[in-house]
Amino acid sequence: MSPRLRLAVLGVALLALVPGAAATIAHLPDFGATIAAYGERINAIAPGERHVANMVSAINFDLRGLDTLGEEFMLLAAITGTVVLLRGRRGETLTDRAMRLPGRAILPRSEAVQLTCRLAGPLLMMFGLYVVLHATVTPGGGFQGGVILASGTLLAYLGEGYGGWRDMVRSHWLDALEGGGAVLFTVCGLAPMLTGAAFMQNVLPLRTFRDVFSGGLMLVENAGVALAVCGGFTQLFLEFLEETREADGPEEPGEDSA
Amino acid sequence: MSAILILLFLLTAASGTAVVLIRDPARQIFALAGNGVVLTILFTALQAPDVALSELAVGGAAVPLLFLVALMAVRTGRRDEEHEG
Repeated sequence: MSPRLRLAVLGVALLALVPGAAATIAHLPDFGATIAAYGERINAIAPGERHVANMVSAINFDLRGLDTLGEEFMLLAAITGTVVLLRGRRGETLTDRAMRLPGRAILPRSEAVQLTCRLAGPLLMMFGLYVVLHATVTPGGGFQGGVILASGTLLAYLGEGYGGWRDMVRSHWLDALEGGGAVLFTVCGLAPMLTGAAFMQNVLPLRTFRDVFSGGLMLVENAGVALAVCGGFTQLFLEFLEETREADGPEEPGEDSA
Repeated sequence: MSAILILLFLLTAASGTAVVLIRDPARQIFALAGNGVVLTILFTALQAPDVALSELAVGGAAVPLLFLVALMAVRTGRRDEEHEG
């Protein structure tokens, strides 16, 4: 396609799209002017009907149900696709041993970095667990907590080096975490149907407002999402790191720390 | 619109432009992480803590880390070719 033709196509596209876009932008409500009707309705309903203080969790894990299942599997599909692409080139053989690339320098961690990571890692994991468990009370939820948990495992990599990290993190466990989390979430959706309720209807008893267990089934669903996200992100990181290694490493495990 | 929001919008525009203008990939990743942090503060200021938490975890930490590792992989690949050739 020649540059002139491209410009012509761009011009035609702009002519067609700009009037519509301009009209839409002109009719948008002013910045921060109003809360949409849907938001007001949710704010009115959720605390009374679901005993939940975090409206985002109430929408994601209860009121809209099936959509969140799609979201969950979108992430699962994306991570599976990445893993298939990376392993497809490298071969499917898995190893729990840290591989290393010949000729690459081994970078030792300074003691300050190690200490910081050993102190901050567990604290970060605790915070991640808190975010997951308090999804119905405070901002956050399974996804955010899961990513924070995954960042905690990355701190272990930063502090201990690749060899130490692979001694802690097993590829099979990550697969199990990711798949198990997705299965748990799906079961949370299907199990209520056995009792005659709708898909993902909140059948567990709702507790008092602002309680950890206030959301009933939402807590279990959040745990499933957190497992899947934590396992998925760590798996993604592991696969990308393996990309920089070579399959035929030396016999000593845990040597590389680059 | 309060002064802090205007300031945050300007910061968002500046940090976003910086991501585009910086040409060195390694520095670009840190600019991207900086943009994620600015967006996090903006979302917090707009009273969307849930979105802010997601942005901080994904835009501020997970994506830059993945990019860093991918960049490392590309660099080792290039060094191998030089070694062979």
